[in-house]
Amino acid sequence: MPYHEFECSKCIPERLRHAVRKTEGEDLTSALPLGYLNTVPGSISERGCAYCGAKHVIGTPMKDVIHLSHGPVGCTYDTWQTKRYISDDGNFQLKYTFASDVKEAHIIFGAEGLLKQNILDAFAAFPHIKRLTVYQTCGTALIGDDIEAVAQEVMDELPDVDIFVCNSPGFAGPSQSGGHHKINIAWINQKVGTVEPEITSDHVINYVGEYNIQGDQEVMLDFFDRMGIQVLSTFTGNGRYDDLRAMHRAHLNVLECARSAEYICNELRVRYGIPRLDIDGFGFEPLGSSLRKIGMFFGIEDSAEKIIEEETARWKPELEWYRERLRGTRVCLWPGGSKLWHWANVIQEEIGVDVVSVYTKFGHQGDMEKGIARCGNGALAIDDPNELEGLEALEMLRPHLILTGKRPGEVAKKVRVPYLNVHGYHNGPYKGFEGWVRLARDIYNAVHSPIHSLSALDISKDEIPTDRGFVTRRMLSDRDLDPQIANRADLRPYSGRFDIIPEIRARRAERVANGEFVSAP
Amino acid sequence: MTIVTQQSVLPQHTSAPALPVVLEPDEVTAARVEQLCEVIMKKCLWQFHSRSWDRLRQNERILGMTTSLLKDEQVDVSDPLDRCYWVDARYLAESYRERFEWFHDMSAEQIDHLLSALTERLNVLTVTKSLNEELTDQHY
Ligand code: SF4
Repeated sequence: MPYHEFECSKCIPERLRHAVRKTEGEDLTSALPLGYLNTVPGSISERGCAYCGAKHVIGTPMKDVIHLSHGPVGCTYDTWQTKRYISDDGNFQLKYTFASDVKEAHIIFGAEGLLKQNILDAFAAFPHIKRLTVYQTCGTALIGDDIEAVAQEVMDELPDVDIFVCNSPGFAGPSQSGGHHKINIAWINQKVGTVEPEITSDHVINYVGEYNIQGDQEVMLDFFDRMGIQVLSTFTGNGRYDDLRAMHRAHLNVLECARSAEYICNELRVRYGIPRLDIDGFGFEPLGSSLRKIGMFFGIEDSAEKIIEEETARWKPELEWYRERLRGTRVCLWPGGSKLWHWANVIQEEIGVDVVSVYTKFGHQGDMEKGIARCGNGALAIDDPNELEGLEALEMLRPHLILTGKRPGEVAKKVRVPYLNVHGYHNGPYKGFEGWVRLARDIYNAVHSPIHSLSALDISKDEIPTDRGFVTRRMLSDRDLDPQIANRADLRPYSGRFDIIPEIRARRAERVANGEFVSAP
Repeated sequence: MTIVTQQSVLPQHTSAPALPVVLEPDEVTAARVEQLCEVIMKKCLWQFHSRSWDRLRQNERILGMTTSLLKDEQVDVSDPLDRCYWVDARYLAESYRERFEWFHDMSAEQIDHLLSALTERLNVLTVTKSLNEELTDQHY
């Protein structure tokens, strides 16, 4: 097995089997790190807890819901407003977070009464919201608070409200991934099948494992509108609570992030016979194939072809412009779970960069199988790295850029490796054809921005160049580019707007006003 | 070396021909299996479901349908679960035809032989020799 041993982790021998480097002649039967295991004591992990995985990743993107944590305010605070899962109706789910604010006295005397009062207060404060989710945390789980009973009491007293209970305290798994699993199963057990939806199309899907980061889901809804596909529910970005209770009536589950949401698709297949289609919403070819497959399933392939043709004609010349300027750029693809395999191949094929490393904080071995299969030989694959390993990898691999979240991203900045936030995004959305160009644009700007060379200067002692006040693209990315490519008239840099979501919303509003089909209410 | 083999060694789902079948040499088959496998690994996701039984079923159903499509045979897609397998199979069959010229010259028997070798290889990579310790987890 081609394990990679980090110098800094020689004192933690268990870490050896968590990093591998697949080389020529190796395949998945000889190169796969361990994964989804409890973090080794002494290794400062960057993982989140199982409560965070349930609430922050999956529960909170639901937009018409009061999301209440039963526990100390710190648990809630740490899961608030750190990810841009926006909604199209005012961002209630981002603006407000709720906690029962458990204190020491409650740990001794119990906190069920406190929880009930909090739920009643929250409904009273926001009378237009009739749905609530409540999340267990470590302390309240350990004292045995029966939150199901409290929720039922409130529902008996207030018949127009509905409450979902998520019993996934922080310790309920090695990482946030344990929480993804728990909330998937809790939702299908408690809520699916309790609402009958209105069916408005012959082609009905659940769009699963999509969290509407900076509008990703809305980009895809726009395509589904154009294909005449009804999106019964989105699990869970920009999704509605009651739509998600009606998931059992879809004809097909279209699954984007299998890491966080394959469980509910698997259960929907077993319990209701709804097939699961795994797709890639990122990159021209994978997205085009995904739309085509959904079209094939419903016998409406032409509608997919039309979108692919229009979008490719509009955006391909801009993608190519960046690809020509990004060839050979070394990147570490260090996202959370699913982007490591969604992107591992297509980012190389279509944006021109070389992926020199993949890592995952909370992914399982299955995610590494997908990621290692999709990136080239020689890439270093690391499971649940600690901060020192991350730094050592940067030193060794010398990437031009890392694609990651803000915790490791800030660390990388200190050693002057630029980073793009691929969790909450820099200037997304990154889904869709235009979105993929936006990612290429963000990578280009991150790699070529003169700020990185300037940040290396110590203005208290270094010689500061005074002979040039600015640098241009021609002096940066185009300096070593073949002039024939640099001057190609058919290619151009990104020409879209700073924020593309208002346009998409306006298009939908127009469809509604004209009485045309829209995929979701 | 050209191997001439009788129908009896071919997969069950092929119909018995009257004459011996001419197959590609082993090394050609092996090289082609790797090429076909690479397309699945780089472009598909269905081979990595979370449990062994699930993966075996995916591999068998999707590659079985891909085989039929490459042989221009009809596939029954009246059941929605089959229809979903067929969607992935169609994508794969079309990708293969587009990428590999040699598919156009292959007989039905040769396609059967190649795709059954591919299924075997994929089962090895994703199930029987997989290092993924979660594949045998009793919970879904
Ligand atoms: S580990 Fe427990 S106490 Fe810490 S944030 Fe998670 S739920 Fe709260």
